Amino acid sequence: MTALEFANAESYYRKPGKTLLDRTIFGGDLFDTWVGRFYVGIWGWICLAAIFAALSAVLLSAHGNGDFRSWQSGDYDLLRGAVNTPPRQYGLGVAPFYQGGAWQLTVIFATIAFSTWALREVDICRKLEMGYHVPVMFATAISAWASVQIVRPFLMGCWCEGMDLGFTAHLTWTSNYGWRFFNWYMNPWHDLALTGFFIGALFTMMHGSAILGTFNTDRNPKVEMLREDNFWRDYVGYSIGEYGIHRLLYYWGIFTLINCDFMDITAGPFIKDYIALWQWHWPWVHNLPWLQ
Amino acid sequence: MATYIDQYGIRVGGPQPLPPKPLEYAEPSPLDGSDPLGVRIGKPFTIPFLQDKLLVDGQFGTFWLGTFGTLSIAFFFAGLVMWAGACLAQVHGHLELFFQYFANVQILPPDGGLGYAPTLESGGWWQWCVGLFALSVLCWLGRAFEHCRRHKWRPWLPFGFIVPIMWMGAVYFFHPVLMGTWAEAPQLGWYGDLDWANNFSIRWGNFYYNPFHQWAIASLFGTSLLLGAHAGTILATASEGSHHEVAEIKELHSGSIKAMLFWKWTMGFNATPKSIHVWLWAFPAALGTACFCGIMANGIFTDNWYVWGVDHGTVKQYGPISRDAILHRPLAVPIEVDQPGLPRP
Repeated sequence: MTALEFANAESYYRKPGKTLLDRTIFGGDLFDTWVGRFYVGIWGWICLAAIFAALSAVLLSAHGNGDFRSWQSGDYDLLRGAVNTPPRQYGLGVAPFYQGGAWQLTVIFATIAFSTWALREVDICRKLEMGYHVPVMFATAISAWASVQIVRPFLMGCWCEGMDLGFTAHLTWTSNYGWRFFNWYMNPWHDLALTGFFIGALFTMMHGSAILGTFNTDRNPKVEMLREDNFWRDYVGYSIGEYGIHRLLYYWGIFTLINCDFMDITAGPFIKDYIALWQWHWPWVHNLPWLQ
Repeated sequence: MATYIDQYGIRVGGPQPLPPKPLEYAEPSPLDGSDPLGVRIGKPFTIPFLQDKLLVDGQFGTFWLGTFGTLSIAFFFAGLVMWAGACLAQVHGHLELFFQYFANVQILPPDGGLGYAPTLESGGWWQWCVGLFALSVLCWLGRAFEHCRRHKWRPWLPFGFIVPIMWMGAVYFFHPVLMGTWAEAPQLGWYGDLDWANNFSIRWGNFYYNPFHQWAIASLFGTSLLLGAHAGTILATASEGSHHEVAEIKELHSGSIKAMLFWKWTMGFNATPKSIHVWLWAFPAALGTACFCGIMANGIFTDNWYVWGVDHGTVKQYGPISRDAILHRPLAVPIEVDQPGLPRP
């Protein structure tokens, strides 16, 4: 590949049209254009506006709460500052700006920013005539955010159930959240997600090593591929193959993220105590007919 | 390389699906003869009715035995049998109770100093099991190195494997040795493992405030982000052959060009078929390194991560801290261990 060919390909694909909203509103997508290297499109502009709005809410809230009180000294206190959830009294209603309203606005605009980023990826996929795998995976990741910040607080009937936004704040929230349900390690979906993330890291390193270990070890790429397969078959008795490894990684990631959703949504609305959850297990096993 | 445009889009070299990969081995390596246990067991096979949709280009068999592999498997099963036997003894040899309490049975490290446990029941089983599992893992590492030589791989895989091995070493060996007691190490059991992770965090003042734990979480989620982005990108362009990655490193085709353009337009930056795999190797390596540091730093940096965070400005102080109570306490507290109350036969 030369730079000329890459530029040639880019010049072929980099033109208006094929977007989600093309020819549906205004007879065309008005914002269907690039800024420098970035494709923007209508979703990009909405995303930028949402990012600006969310950041404004964060900065205004931080300013009002005194997180930036030492502004002139240059101590912005980014680590200890926080945008906190509304107090319980506001329930699912609208809270005043400095008592959680900033958190509500930040969550709304952040969710809009994430979603429009995914839609912008959909537009790019359509322009390049690719599958939608990346935006689908990203949407699954957004669902983990939405589970914590929107779905679960809604089911609990109070925005105060959401996660505080801030470096220390979200760590402390996570710590307390685990203790509130007695032992987060006994949350089965937490265990599955944890296992998923770590095994995913193992798969990732195995895949990276396979490619870095074999590329340009021979003139013929078929010989290099033979080396990949031979290695894994000798090593563990099975080679999943070039296509298979990417499909495994993809669905493994989806599975892990869905477990993140279950992990959070069950905590509170459905399960109050993850240690007690396991109490069902012992009588169930004990009462198996062949163990009587 | 020809670039042409047809009704389906631009084709740089055009899609070039490679023929199905043969189930055959490259020429034998000089290493093969020098290994007394160097035999391949089994035969290559595929499962035809699963191959189309589920396994696609997956290949089963054979398995190279080899001295390192045989030793590794032998050590692992020896440790496993020892663990199962010791746990079975805890439920008085009742197999059904063993299955009933499978998640609860565990063997504990000795709660004294660093010497041999006085008896097998007071930690000797744990020392033997950990030793056997360590030998097993190290032999498997040796197997990775010898396989890289046999199949002419650069040794990225074994060097990557060293990172989690160092983490395991920190958890089971280096950190307990520095603290002067095996009791710092995890017990061996299903819930025991989870309980250790839980208690270890509290014992060192909440791991959420441990900067290496923070780094490790960021690396873990970053690894997963790369995993999802890479796998999604390749699957989305695999119809144009982007999954033939070693071939794409030599010469880009339309699938990989689309993959690169996607990320260039999305975030202003794109990797290449080669460099993305450097990212995929380096992020898990950073993860393991952070995990290693996060274990080793306990008792070296601080005895309490909350206090450390407050002192270093990374954590908000929620209330008064009694430093004497938190920091000046004995490091190794002997633990009274209650075995689960089991019904007598």
